[in-house]
Amino acid sequence: MTTVTHAHVKGAVKPRRKGLAALLSHHALRRLVQFGVFLFIAIIAVRHVLVGEGGAIITASWEAYCPMGGLETLYKFVTTGGSFVSHAHLSNVVVLVAALAVALLARNAFCGWICPFGFIQDMVHSFSAAVQKRVPAIRKAVKALKQRGAKLAVLDRYLRFLKYGVLAWAVAGAAAYGFMVFRDYDPWAALWNLLELSLAGGTVVLAIVLVASFFVERPWCRYACPLGAATGLLGALSPIYLKREAESCKACAVCTKACPMGLPVHTATTIKSVDCIGCLECVDECPREGALALKLGVPVIGK
Amino acid sequence: MRINPFIYGALVLVLFFGVIGGAKAAGVWSVSGKLTSSGEKALPTGANPDELKGWMTLDDVAKAYNVPVAEILAAFGLPADTPGTAQIKSLESETFSTTNLRTWLKTRMGQ
Repeated sequence: MTTVTHAHVKGAVKPRRKGLAALLSHHALRRLVQFGVFLFIAIIAVRHVLVGEGGAIITASWEAYCPMGGLETLYKFVTTGGSFVSHAHLSNVVVLVAALAVALLARNAFCGWICPFGFIQDMVHSFSAAVQKRVPAIRKAVKALKQRGAKLAVLDRYLRFLKYGVLAWAVAGAAAYGFMVFRDYDPWAALWNLLELSLAGGTVVLAIVLVASFFVERPWCRYACPLGAATGLLGALSPIYLKREAESCKACAVCTKACPMGLPVHTATTIKSVDCIGCLECVDECPREGALALKLGVPVIGK
Repeated sequence: MRINPFIYGALVLVLFFGVIGGAKAAGVWSVSGKLTSSGEKALPTGANPDELKGWMTLDDVAKAYNVPVAEILAAFGLPADTPGTAQIKSLESETFSTTNLRTWLKTRMGQ
């Protein structure tokens, strides 16, 4: 007698993961890595502020681990044979190369799996969801606000191009002026500068991003992140992509609702958007076996 | 070919941290101009005064360029009781700066 397990039937309802299986999921691994990277940067930042850098003990700044710093100093690094703009070091270039290598293999997976600022936005949105679940009045208010804002949804498509402008400004500005023109407006930098009670334009951007994250998932990543813009473009050369199997998919749109980047997953055949951050929340949430799968294919054209 | 999501995540992490780990192992890593790739305090080598930075101390300069601290202080009219542990940038005035010290050392070395 042969036994056909539920897991192998395409289009069947997926069994809910429980216990150890849930702990060993890619979702759990992703959250663990995001939290670990955030914690590492937080420890580095606090230590740097507490110890300072004028004494005998020298501590690294959190900025030394930011790939965006590598992108901003890249022009000077290449054209001068190894020197950097202020606040950038060799580590920035190495972390940038690592992020670009990930983009070439797995699209914007750096944003989805590693970036601590993406993690912060994820946490704010999760907090928002938890609050809305427990407080009906807030749920109604957010729903009403979203309904009013739906008219502005048409802008989403155009606003996503903003990040390429930010990328051009940050890279060309650093190349032209020899310092990080983007740094004062960088919300990630602003977050850690708060430890030193330092306020700049980035503090306002940070506040906007955190408030917006309550209503929209990953607003900074969708519309303004210059690093995500760069890795997204390079990621178009990745051989890995998401495929929706029409015969298994019931077009329930759970995947689209789960996508933190607001991509229309349930209507696509292949998901090769430069905005896809490879978080695989869509795969995790999809209730049907085999309806969404990661595939290895030919870069750009897929298949 | 289908890829397991968990394997995908593991690949991303191995690649990202592998590149960083590889660079560190190869010595291509520095998180501060004040630290070497092995994490130790960067010190002047005595080969070229252009390497001097404002955060270096008078003792660092004296040791690397084999010049007494007292001679540096006298050359720039700095107080004789200035400690050797003072950073160059903390002593900057109209007559003393990192650039002036570099130029003075170059002249002294005959460069």
